[in-house]
Amino acid sequence: MPTFVDMTKCDGCGQCVDICPSDIMHIDKTTRRAYNIEPNFCWECFSCVKSCPQHAIDVRGYADFAPLGHKVRVHRDEEGGKVHWLIGYRDGREKEFTFPIRTTPWGSIPAAQEHQAPGPNDIKSPQLAHEPTALKIDSLPTLEEAQNRG
Amino acid sequence: MFTSNPFAELTVFLSPAFMQIYIVLMILAVAAGTIYDMLHKKSFQFFMQRRQNSEARARRPLGTGQKFGVALKTLGKEVLTSGEFCNTKRQLSHLLLFYGFLLYLISTIVMVYAYPTAQATTPGVWPVLWNVGALMIIIGGGWFFFFLRVNVVQEQDSPFRLIPADLFVVSLVLSVLFGIIWEIVQAQGGLLATQILFGIYIGLTTLLFVSVPWSKFAHMFYKPAAAYQKRVEDVSGSDSLPTAARGKKQVASPGNTRT
Repeated sequence: MPTFVDMTKCDGCGQCVDICPSDIMHIDKTTRRAYNIEPNFCWECFSCVKSCPQHAIDVRGYADFAPLGHKVRVHRDEEGGKVHWLIGYRDGREKEFTFPIRTTPWGSIPAAQEHQAPGPNDIKSPQLAHEPTALKIDSLPTLEEAQNRG
Repeated sequence: MFTSNPFAELTVFLSPAFMQIYIVLMILAVAAGTIYDMLHKKSFQFFMQRRQNSEARARRPLGTGQKFGVALKTLGKEVLTSGEFCNTKRQLSHLLLFYGFLLYLISTIVMVYAYPTAQATTPGVWPVLWNVGALMIIIGGGWFFFFLRVNVVQEQDSPFRLIPADLFVVSLVLSVLFGIIWEIVQAQGGLLATQILFGIYIGLTTLLFVSVPWSKFAHMFYKPAAAYQKRVEDVSGSDSLPTAARGKKQVASPGNTRT
């Protein structure tokens, strides 16, 4: 079920290019609009569909296994912290589902580049990047402490 | 220098009829190029097919009055304020290009047809508007070309790498840039240099208007139509989006706001 872009709605902002985990959303060199360069490598994560500000991206089911005439549309409501899905069935029925997606305000989680860059000695630390602050705790137990306790 | 009609001063070596005929030819080139573009890419056929499908799917068919209201909203937002863009920098750059081009185009037509010779004294406002329009195009276009192009910002292309999609903005910016250079050189009085720079200016302007089938020039016509259709689909409920999405854009992700 690869994504495809409605060229008349796309404004070429590049959000999908940034977010695609497969790096298959690219910019067309003639129209400067987004398009999927490798539909067979798309794993239908819907990241680009949800992030497109113009609702210009849709996901098309392969005719050999996806029910003909079905549709799956999505709208991510960042301010409300919800995601809305519309499922269209082959017989014309449509159902809408709404799910909460987060409990904190949109944009309140710092991006990776907003954290302090690790120093050269941090490679010897058993902690992962941005720990423990990103976990919102003061400290993590270390191997040495655990051995001393044991 | 910037308050005198540069086209009137051309009469030293060109008949006023040259520019008057040239403008008509360029209007015809844009019309022919747009029609060819629509037929060759079948975009008009696609658009009409989509419109029919949209009308067939409409949950709330729109009356004439509602369609007129939608057209007014499209004019007020997408056309006059470039409100379609989710990126404010791109919106400002587009506004500079849009209004700069309008000022440049209207003042050119007025100066060429209403004040074709040095004898017909041109009010100073028209050359000033011509220069202001050209400057707005250079600023808006330069900003877009070097800092806002999506293939440069998101795909990390070099700012100096040219792709076919750049044909419109590059020919537009270069033509007005050489227009100003020609105006300055002409004011200094060198006839040969004036003729050479005027030739470059006309060449680049011709490229801008003749390259319509291969450039993005035609977006001036089809983008408003597409924006209107999108609004119609939104209001009539034929776009299949969840109810909560009606009339809303999604917000740019915090990590994706580099432009």
